[in-house]
Amino acid sequence: MARFRVSMDIGGTFTDVIGYDEATGRYLVGKSSTTPDDLTDGVLTALASLVDSPGDISFTVHGTTQGLNAFLERRGVKVLLLASAGAGDTYHIARGPRTRLYDLHFRKPEPLVPLRDILEIGGRFDAAGAELEPLDEDAVRRAAQVYRDGGFGAIAVAYLFSYLDPAHELRTREILLEELGPEVTISLSHEAAKEWREYERTSSAVVEAYTGPVVRRYLERLEANLTERGLSVPLHVMQSSGGILTAESARRRPLQTLLSGPVGGTMGGVELARQIGRPNLICVDMGGTSFDVSLVIDGQPDISPEAKIEGLPMLMSVVNIHTIGAGGGSVAWLEAGGLRVGPRSAGATPGPACYGRGGTEPTVTDANLVLGRIDPEWFAGGSVALDTAAATTAVSGLGEALGLDTVAMAEGICDVANAKMAQAIRTITVSRGIEPREFTLVAFGGAGPMHAVFLARELGIGEVVVPRFPGAFSAWGMLQTDIRKDFSDTYFFLDADLDPADMAARLAAMAEEGLASLAEEGVPEENRRVEHAVDIRYAAQEYTLTVPLEDAAEPAREGFVETIAKRFAQQHESRYGHANLGAPIEFVTLRTTAFGDLGRGAAEEIPAAAEGAGFPSRLREVVFDGAARPTLLVRREELAAGHDFEGPAIVMESTATTVVPPGYTVSVDPIGSLVVRAAGEENK
Amino acid sequence: MSQKVDPVVVEIIRNALAAAADDMNATLIRSAYTPIIYECGDCVVALLDDQHQVLGQSAGLPIFLGNLETCTKATEEQFGREVWRPGDVWILNDSYLGGTHLNDVTIFGPVFVDEELVGFTATRAHWIDVGSKDPGGSMDSVNIFQEGLRLGPQKLVEGGVDVPGVMSTIATNVRFPYQTSGDMHAMIATIKMGQARLEEIVRRWGLDTLRAARDEIFAQTEALEREVIAAIPDGVYTAEGCLDNDGIDLDTPVPVRLTITVSGSDIDFDVRDSADQTVGPVNCGVSQTVSACRVGYKLLVSPDVPGNGGSFRPMTVQVREGSVFGAVAPAACQWYFSHLGLLIDMVARALAPALPEKVAGASHGDSMIVLLAGRDPRTRRDYVSLEATLGGWGAWDGSDGETALINNVNGSLKDIPIEVFETRYPFRISTYEIRPDSGGAGRFRGGNGVVREYTALHDCTVSLWFERSTTPAWGLFGGHDAAPPEVVINPGREDERRLLKCNGLRLKAGDVIRCATGGGGGFGPPAERDPGAVRADVLDGQVSETRAKEVYAHA
Repeated sequence: MARFRVSMDIGGTFTDVIGYDEATGRYLVGKSSTTPDDLTDGVLTALASLVDSPGDISFTVHGTTQGLNAFLERRGVKVLLLASAGAGDTYHIARGPRTRLYDLHFRKPEPLVPLRDILEIGGRFDAAGAELEPLDEDAVRRAAQVYRDGGFGAIAVAYLFSYLDPAHELRTREILLEELGPEVTISLSHEAAKEWREYERTSSAVVEAYTGPVVRRYLERLEANLTERGLSVPLHVMQSSGGILTAESARRRPLQTLLSGPVGGTMGGVELARQIGRPNLICVDMGGTSFDVSLVIDGQPDISPEAKIEGLPMLMSVVNIHTIGAGGGSVAWLEAGGLRVGPRSAGATPGPACYGRGGTEPTVTDANLVLGRIDPEWFAGGSVALDTAAATTAVSGLGEALGLDTVAMAEGICDVANAKMAQAIRTITVSRGIEPREFTLVAFGGAGPMHAVFLARELGIGEVVVPRFPGAFSAWGMLQTDIRKDFSDTYFFLDADLDPADMAARLAAMAEEGLASLAEEGVPEENRRVEHAVDIRYAAQEYTLTVPLEDAAEPAREGFVETIAKRFAQQHESRYGHANLGAPIEFVTLRTTAFGDLGRGAAEEIPAAAEGAGFPSRLREVVFDGAARPTLLVRREELAAGHDFEGPAIVMESTATTVVPPGYTVSVDPIGSLVVRAAGEENK
Repeated sequence: MSQKVDPVVVEIIRNALAAAADDMNATLIRSAYTPIIYECGDCVVALLDDQHQVLGQSAGLPIFLGNLETCTKATEEQFGREVWRPGDVWILNDSYLGGTHLNDVTIFGPVFVDEELVGFTATRAHWIDVGSKDPGGSMDSVNIFQEGLRLGPQKLVEGGVDVPGVMSTIATNVRFPYQTSGDMHAMIATIKMGQARLEEIVRRWGLDTLRAARDEIFAQTEALEREVIAAIPDGVYTAEGCLDNDGIDLDTPVPVRLTITVSGSDIDFDVRDSADQTVGPVNCGVSQTVSACRVGYKLLVSPDVPGNGGSFRPMTVQVREGSVFGAVAPAACQWYFSHLGLLIDMVARALAPALPEKVAGASHGDSMIVLLAGRDPRTRRDYVSLEATLGGWGAWDGSDGETALINNVNGSLKDIPIEVFETRYPFRISTYEIRPDSGGAGRFRGGNGVVREYTALHDCTVSLWFERSTTPAWGLFGGHDAAPPEVVINPGREDERRLLKCNGLRLKAGDVIRCATGGGGGFGPPAERDPGAVRADVLDGQVSETRAKEVYAHA
């Protein structure tokens, strides 16, 4: 019987799967090694550890790094770019900023299409959307010939002002399909991103064309394999925006899946915020090489309308994730006689010294091992045996150079890494006008729970929550989201020139489009809803804030311009610390987001501890603040709701280790989260 | 005096000071009112110790490297050390003290912990208007009095309370008092945030530990820099170039001469032989000259090390009072960075023989400003558009130079997209393209400039500031020089005219302004260029076939 809701998160090393059993209300976790050559193998293996047959699956979603990997490794297809005459070079001019201030040898991010593969096509609209010059159809037909002769795999089309009138882009596609047949991949800029700024829109279309065929092939193959093995429900894919969509839609709009990897964790944070009644979270995900920070504010993910990968921009909704080069693999090294930790990482090969794969430089993982904070037998659920002697040799070598004994050196490496991560979190929150002390820290990923309490201590945060399945939290988060479709439309008006009725009519049309798209996603009518917002700024600013609207009809209501100006001012105040009510504002972009509820896994309560019943534990010496202390060692699966204990303590489970220093208490909440509080902090 | 301090603590303090500066910068960017600060990053922040040494800094523009300490120092020299009192905040924008134009306002204050002076925090930011004769600043000022309100060190806040009258005096002297007051308060909030961070660090670690760590951090930075300089053979290195003119007397070039002397791990920069201060506004104060030399130095010596009080210790700078680099009252300073940009490029030129693997050919060099103004017939509103234009950068050993990049002084500024420009202003941009053959040829080719062509859709005015035609971007080691900039009004028409600088030239509907910027210098002899690279350049349109045949005959 199909009763499992299943999510699959394909990481660089492991593929995590989580299943929610609709019959029993319980969650199951599975894992396998990622199989880079053909990801479907790893997915199927991981799946097999959870369900007998894909036929048992009632709903499924997965996060894929296929597109992103193709992009990062430059394994996408060869793209032919068609651009407006006179503006063909804008993709390479790339707006010209120097993002490194002191670099004589600065180069811009390498574009995905060389200049020789960009063809200029006659035809032009003006800023009012009026056609100045008709499309040069012969030039398009000649471009089709170039495509045929040049070994290309996709075409991107990006004309000036196509966000106002897409006629030339649409006609271009018609001609190309006529000339080249229905199988050719064509990405039109107004479909990839219906917003102004030709460079950013062109870049969006190019990335989509470049990665699209790779994502498409992968999704087709995975879906076919699963269907063959009995899957009878549509496969869904995580999007960069934190929502999901069907694989069928993702094949049409693959750009949206590009940054889906780490987003699951943030969406897990959103659901956790609801379940534990803490609307403001700082989510930290620490793995081997990077440390990802994201925010949940008032129960909502922090989403921005633009993203960059390796410097190339994409206009699409994306959950804001700040990545810092700090992880278990961060190397401690010497510079001019001083200690440095990171940003360089030992990576997976050679990896930390304790992996025994030839690494000799001490890393953060080695330091944790020397301090006794990692159990060598139980790292990654016992799948990797750690060499404590190698770690000790590496750490003590560095210690000698700095005049520190091995233990002081190991703790020093952790202290420096923790201080850097904490400062990075602080700068991120300061720039958003947020006080981190008022937030709860949520830690997941393999190394996150090992460092989280130290970060909280640095930041003055009183409460740390380590959710169940911290190593598979991203996968868990994917089960907690909606179908999401984003629509945007450039709508540039000064407040004085706005026709509110026209704005309402445009929004109504977008609402209709949004709801129709949910029907295509298979969302039942009663579970469809749309939200609207408008990007606004003060006249002459470049950057905008996305201001929510009550509904599509709001602009038509009495006093709209004043109401929205006030709402914008409030948002500006909280984001930038000031506002300028009464100053002219500009409307820039209309946004409609369609959400479809396909149900989700319910919160699972874990068994409660019997009155007065304890849990098995043992003691081991672990170093905290310079001294080895008898420390409580607990297996997470032995804990029941209501259990509590004091640090120093270490909680081990197959996917992560939680380190609790002295002065903190741990309690297990009804849904199995470890809630760590500074001694004396009251339960909020 | 210095106790031995735990290396772990040193590293934590080093990161904490750098992060405190980042937090100050984030606060300023977050709370500033005007886009020139929060979008263009025309600002800088720093934490200083009680001896005016930099503990941490964060700059939005390269040219703002390390000249905030001169402001606290000058104030102390003028009024004595007793002048510092808890809760005070100071302001200053005197060009001859701060070094830049009057628009760059510095706000700073002392930091006290338990009644002991432990340091200072400071920030400088560009104010959109300080009451000069033309809105936003003039292109043709001939003395400082035309350039706006000029403040020596002046208390803005005393013991936490606004000094009566000062803020209103400022407000009555500037054109946009509301935004200006907003930016001023953002700057005050910034230095207060820095004060809180520095106080936290002092309280957590204690002043003695902080000072011992500071000495160790400075020693590390100095050691890293001295290592690089010691590797440069001792000797005298020179470079020379010219600004086209000072913007007033268009026929007289303004020479800039740099002599660098390396001796052991010390390095001296001497610009005393450069031009006398000019009538036009291409002058600056000494401290900005020091900053420019520091930028030139940092590009070669320590690009990745965060600046602190240990930076630049091996370096001295010699400036002549009364020259363009050591302007005295009443020299006009509005356009203070054109000769500084040239000076920065010349550091790499002078040191090229000693550091062939680190230098690069020169860049196009200046902001290449196009200022268009008029009344938009679509909205019947007045508009002013001010744009810097991208150009080419120099090649180096191992790579071609970058094409279409903002100049050194403007940091991470972006161009304005055609779609945004045409929506905002009544013009058509008919062409925006790479300018082929504008980069200098070489084994590695200089990057190309751009061509941006505007057609006026109604009557309007244009002002231009294009530089570096007398000294276009030079090549190195046999690499060719780049093409100079070129602006043509109405190309191919009977009334065609060429010019590079002008103020308020009238245009009629249908008139065309074709702006072409220069490229970057080449590196190494063109005859050694990889033939495959030549063919690729021709395919990509970066180099024309004619030019390829001419200079790359081997390919």
